[in-house]
Amino acid sequence: MGRISGLVPSRFLTLLAHLVVVITLFWSRESNIQACLPLKFTPEEYEKQDNQLVAALCLTLGLFAVELAGFLSGVSMFNSTQSLLSIAAHCSASVALSFFVFERWECTTYWYIFTFCSAFPAVTETALFIAVFGLKKKPF
Amino acid sequence: MAPRDKRLSSTPLEVLFFLNGWYYATYFLLELLIFLYKGLLLPYPTANLVLDVVMLLLYLGIEVIRLFFGTKGNLCQRKMPLGISVALTFPSAMMASYYLLLQTYVLRLEAIMNSILLFFCGSELLLEMLTLATFSSMDRI
Repeated sequence: MGRISGLVPSRFLTLLAHLVVVITLFWSRESNIQACLPLKFTPEEYEKQDNQLVAALCLTLGLFAVELAGFLSGVSMFNSTQSLLSIAAHCSASVALSFFVFERWECTTYWYIFTFCSAFPAVTETALFIAVFGLKKKPF
Repeated sequence: MAPRDKRLSSTPLEVLFFLNGWYYATYFLLELLIFLYKGLLLPYPTANLVLDVVMLLLYLGIEVIRLFFGTKGNLCQRKMPLGISVALTFPSAMMASYYLLLQTYVLRLEAIMNSILLFFCGSELLLEMLTLATFSSMDRI
């Protein structure tokens, strides 16, 4: 445990960094939505894109709950593979999302960030959940 | 003191203290940078800036003492240090809410980070109460 103990706080902090950017996006999503609409758009079109982005953000929050539950319950806290994967994914997600906010990327790019940086570690986390609680194995 | 062979220390509480320490270190550094940013970009009166930075240093002191006594009390199964930590949770939560609501300029980032700190404070307070109850119920037997 001595050698991987640095992974635990760094994983937690990258997770929280990503979480903070996602919550900030809830406040500042207008410009991103306008970026993926034509110059003249109707309120209905805006509403549609807005709903999609909000759904994506809520899904992200749900996946955060999965990953934080796995982390805090100890399922994957000392699993260095999952920790490294999660650190890489969430670190790139926070960088990509800061660009998303600052450079006003199109709202459809969020889905790519979501798939690679949020869904992927959550899927491996779920696999670990199944391995630990379902198959009673310790995949360390 | 509790008997030596019984382990009553709470693992979730220890995990929370550990993560809170790391989180607070990040928060402190970030907050210093945010004050730099706000001092450079916004019309920040000097008196308010000094007040906020001094409060932040005070907050650092409170938080370090709280986490230190909390960890010691939890691991050594002593009620006194854990009690000190419980008592210091209230000033710590006050400071978090000061930076959340009352300071001169509140950025969105600060709002989110302080809410996370308040969440930490709340869950630690709950677990500390439960751990204190366990310690004192073992003392009576």
